[in-house]
Amino acid sequence: MNKMNTEKFLILLYSVSSLAILLILLPIIALYLMGDPEIFYKILFQDPILSKESWSALFLTFEISILSTVTLLVIGIPVGYVLARFDFKGKSVLEAIIDIPLLTPHIIAGIMVISAFGRSGIINKVLMGQYFSVEDNVLGILLAMMFVSIPIMIDTIKVGFASIDRNLELVARSLGVSLHRVFLSITLPLSVKNIVAGCILSWARAVSEIGAILIVAYYPKTINVLIYEWYTTYGLKYAVTLSILLLSIFMVIFASIWVIYRR
Amino acid sequence: MIEIKGLIVTFKDFKLEIPYLRIKDGEYFIVMGPSGVGKTVFLHTLAGFIKPNSGRILIDNLDITDTRPEERGFPIVPEEYCLFPNMTVYENIVFGLKFRGFKRDDLEKRIKDIINALEIDQILDRQPDTLSAGEKQRVAIARALAVNPRVILLDEPLRNLDPKLHGKARELLKRLHLKFKFTAIHVTHNIVEAIILGERIAYLEDGRLIGVFNPKDFLKTKYGKLYLEALKPIKEHLT
Repeated sequence: MNKMNTEKFLILLYSVSSLAILLILLPIIALYLMGDPEIFYKILFQDPILSKESWSALFLTFEISILSTVTLLVIGIPVGYVLARFDFKGKSVLEAIIDIPLLTPHIIAGIMVISAFGRSGIINKVLMGQYFSVEDNVLGILLAMMFVSIPIMIDTIKVGFASIDRNLELVARSLGVSLHRVFLSITLPLSVKNIVAGCILSWARAVSEIGAILIVAYYPKTINVLIYEWYTTYGLKYAVTLSILLLSIFMVIFASIWVIYRR
Repeated sequence: MIEIKGLIVTFKDFKLEIPYLRIKDGEYFIVMGPSGVGKTVFLHTLAGFIKPNSGRILIDNLDITDTRPEERGFPIVPEEYCLFPNMTVYENIVFGLKFRGFKRDDLEKRIKDIINALEIDQILDRQPDTLSAGEKQRVAIARALAVNPRVILLDEPLRNLDPKLHGKARELLKRLHLKFKFTAIHVTHNIVEAIILGERIAYLEDGRLIGVFNPKDFLKTKYGKLYLEALKPIKEHLT
């Protein structure tokens, strides 16, 4: 009886797991099956207007997302360390504030960025007439990407720092080594895996952002905005082709990192 | 000489009180008491990791209560040894010296002395996770000795060793204390360790310092007798 129940339970576990995998794989397979090599060749190489548009959107997306990731890394390391290592009044409030972008619908995130840094945003009001805007420019895309991916970077790095035995740092300090040197020679090297993971995840989040970018900066077009535009203008076939390109680049990058990590 | 005056430390829900305590230079000083009485809190306060609510810690009449751990120079050997996993054994040992202005020749001679005394010359290139408990303990002690400290704080350093190694490690600590002449403040709840190693024993109970005794006198107190009572069933069982 017990054996039967165990077998049934295992079958249930395997079935649910298979369903989950299918849920992920089916759209990916479908996307590749929908791809048309002719359109692929046309939009990437043959048609001068379409190919120029797609390559420049792709490069722009990668450039700004990398800049966003590097900026967030510089912010994420000290903030993650403070949150992992120090107790202070209002810490949980600060942690909740950092996680707000995770729970914010992306369109609203875009509205928030515009409200702060747009033409009629609060910054311009405070600066009283001095003109500053992030609408429809590279800075807007950068801020939108940073806004949606900052919690991922900080939280991943924080978890890394918090997982390191605090006694290692205390022992090192008791040997006469200052806090910043302990941080650089022990805490930071031991957190490298989480820091790299934070970079990959927040970079992927930045690249995949569209909602906030549509509101803040439709122009210059990022790859997602272009995919969306082609979908509404030329139909699914064109959007599928660009999507395959972006997804393939993603998969190659993730696979390479995974292989390096496994070593 | 270390003097502690009117020390009160509250840590989470716990309160530690040491009205007065004096530890002589070069002394092997034991801090004893049941689990959870504040032995480690006491050691961490001495090291500078925990700030006391009131009271003073003096070393040669110099107030170090507010001095940072790295400026105090009281290296700690924790129960789990805490070797730096991203470094080899040798890098662990010299870590504390790397950022100081030691002369290279002096440094090398001292490190060599320590490595020989602890018999760890065969494991210098190994990573900490490949070491046995006994080896880890010796490396942790070597790392503390390397910075030429006046005081070493030992937090139950023999706890994770099997009985055979325990005896060897006790002898080793005794030998090192004689050779390198440091003040040892050693926290334990092992009576054998306390009696064999300690020149004096401070006993803590419920977060308060009950008293400081020499090992013989400690065994005559009701606290010392409790430890002996615990050994009685073995003796009775065997006779």
